[in-house]
Amino acid sequence: MSEVLNLQEKLVKEFALVEGALNGQAKTPVHAIRKQAMKRFAELGFPTIRHEEWKYTNIMPVVKNDYVLAPQSSTTLTKADIEPFLMPDVKANVLVFVNGAYAANLSTIISTKNVEILPLVEAFTKKTVIVEQHFAQIAAWQNDAMLALNTAFALNGAYIEIAKGAVVEEPFHLLFVNDSRAQSTFAPARNLIVVGANAEATIVESAHTLATGENVGFTNVVSEVVLADNARLHHYKIQNDVEQSHFIGALYAHQEATSVLNTVVVTLSGGIVRNNLSAVLAGKGADTHFYGLYLVNGKTLVDNHTLADHAVAHCTSNELYKGIMDDRSTGVFNGKIMVRADAQKTLAYQSNRNILMSPHATVNTKPQLEIFADDVKCSHGCTAGQLDDESVFYLRARGLDKEQAQALLLYAFAGEITEKIGLEPLRERLETIIAERLHQELV
Amino acid sequence: MLTITSLQASVEGKEILKGINLTIGKGEIHAIMGPNGSGKSTLASVLAGREDYDVTGGTVTFQGADLLEMSPENRAREGVFLAFQYPVEIPGVSNTNFLKAAVNEVRKHRGQEPMEPKAFLTMMREKMALVEMDQAMVSRSVNEGFSGGEKKRNEIFQMAMLEPKLSILDETDSGLDIDALKIVANGVNKLRSKETSTIVITHYQRLLDYIVPDFVHVLYKGRIVKSGGKELALELEAKGYDWIKDLAQEEVTA
Ligand SMILES: Nc1ncnc2c1ncn2[C@@H]1O[C@H](COP(=O)(O)OP(=O)(O)OP(=O)(O)O)[C@@H](O)[C@H]1O
Ligand SMILES: [Mg+2]
Repeated sequence: MSEVLNLQEKLVKEFALVEGALNGQAKTPVHAIRKQAMKRFAELGFPTIRHEEWKYTNIMPVVKNDYVLAPQSSTTLTKADIEPFLMPDVKANVLVFVNGAYAANLSTIISTKNVEILPLVEAFTKKTVIVEQHFAQIAAWQNDAMLALNTAFALNGAYIEIAKGAVVEEPFHLLFVNDSRAQSTFAPARNLIVVGANAEATIVESAHTLATGENVGFTNVVSEVVLADNARLHHYKIQNDVEQSHFIGALYAHQEATSVLNTVVVTLSGGIVRNNLSAVLAGKGADTHFYGLYLVNGKTLVDNHTLADHAVAHCTSNELYKGIMDDRSTGVFNGKIMVRADAQKTLAYQSNRNILMSPHATVNTKPQLEIFADDVKCSHGCTAGQLDDESVFYLRARGLDKEQAQALLLYAFAGEITEKIGLEPLRERLETIIAERLHQELV
Repeated sequence: MLTITSLQASVEGKEILKGINLTIGKGEIHAIMGPNGSGKSTLASVLAGREDYDVTGGTVTFQGADLLEMSPENRAREGVFLAFQYPVEIPGVSNTNFLKAAVNEVRKHRGQEPMEPKAFLTMMREKMALVEMDQAMVSRSVNEGFSGGEKKRNEIFQMAMLEPKLSILDETDSGLDIDALKIVANGVNKLRSKETSTIVITHYQRLLDYIVPDFVHVLYKGRIVKSGGKELALELEAKGYDWIKDLAQEEVTA
């Protein structure tokens, strides 16, 4: 426990230091929020399993480590170092953040028309109006310690604004590198993504840790996303990090009328991974899709908490999360559907399906429906079990051995999620990784 | 080809096969008939190696080797093929990929190289024509959303691709319309040779009009209670099973 308090105190002190160096910005509304958020974090402290929202995910192993707060000094990493983290064969805007700080020398920006791309800290001064309208307004940090912490340290990360009506073909890859080679590092980052009316964009988010020896990287990425009327955003979060890494992050979206949000979260490895995902359907006819795949082994713990918040009528939410857990890995799924009193004619679907490949793997899955409107269609379901014996036998009876049969079935099971990734090269890459993981040559 | 001696098997502690004796020679067709629940599918499953069934006694020799010792996949690779009574649907696994994997496993087992993609496609087309399957169906996931008859036809398509030595067709006729029955039976006949044997499990003479058996056996309560030539099937069609049941009753009480 004392180590945990240590980290908490350390962060409070760090905040005071960072604040002291802010000069002119110290009086802005954004800074006022950050100060309040820090105060709130200090009051709440890190969540424990006594908190309902963290019941199955004990983050003590995350916060007990002695981290340094991401140093702001420029990185020594080169393009070659980050090459393995890039999407091959994709012409993308790549924004690289090393320990939170924007690394211009490692980044590549190719979209110049109709987009505004800035490190968040610059947006605070250059895009004050939009920032003040949305920053910390979509992600309600007041009763969420982890979010309050992220809000307090919100300087690093990306600001992306897509102009009205612009369809940006090139995806944005937000690449967060946690360099914990010298020392275990806590790297918070915050993104604000504003998609204008009728605009469309694709964002890929991934976090990668470089750690040596006993060191562990702790990455905390929160994105706030605004979709104006009829905007479309595809958000793909890819998590395939090393064992010596922990990730706690979130995406909070606010959707105006007939906007469409497609999210796919794919978790393939890591230490403790927690993803919060929340979309407020605030405009008539908004549509949100949550897809998730967690294919984990070893001692990885992956926890997905989602919220589809139907605030107005005629919106749709569609959610499918699938998990395959091997060894001693753990899966947690908590999917909440909120249908507020005004949200008549809501369509809300949710499903969570899990396959346990080992007797030591576990999954905790919980749907939560809160429905205050009467004319709605909602469904939910969750399953946890083994692969279907009948199917395995059928394949074996045709000459495939047991491992092959299982691999083929698991690959197909996962494929239902990966096929939702509209970015072809990324989808293919993931499918190759998954096939390799399943020891299956499938082409 | 296949010698079954005093085969006993149970599931969940319940004895289903109570001593089956059956010898199947090369090039022969054997029909197995019998009332519902008599154990026909159980016999087929035990031969294919389904693990839910416990073999509690007897032996099965396939081409001189102990079949019961082999894993289901090795039985398939050695040339045993079961056309399932109820083929499962496997969403997300394409027929083509699955068959490619299966064909190449069989080839590997025989010490052959994997098939060239082009040769594989040619073979697919040839076999598809044999059972009159269309490309759309082959491209779909294994049996997913297939009608009852389409599933049965797909079983025979797979059989054609795998070129087994011993085929066990478990009620392949059920669910097939009259034309499909002819097509499927035709396919089976074309695939036959002096080197291959077939076990046809069926309730109806109709299929046996096309696939003419050399022997007909009646399975009742886990035993073969009567065997004969193809005329036995006609007799069953005319008289039903009551006389067989009486016969079996007499045997037990005697
Ligand atoms: N997994 C199982 N668990 C319990 N009982 C089973 C199981 N499988 C088969 N049986 C029982 O074994 C008996 C024989 O079943 P089987 O499917 O072999 O019959 P069948 O001769 O193929 O019948 P049908 O003509 O209806 O296809 C039946 O009484 C059936 O209920
Ligand atoms: Mg049967």
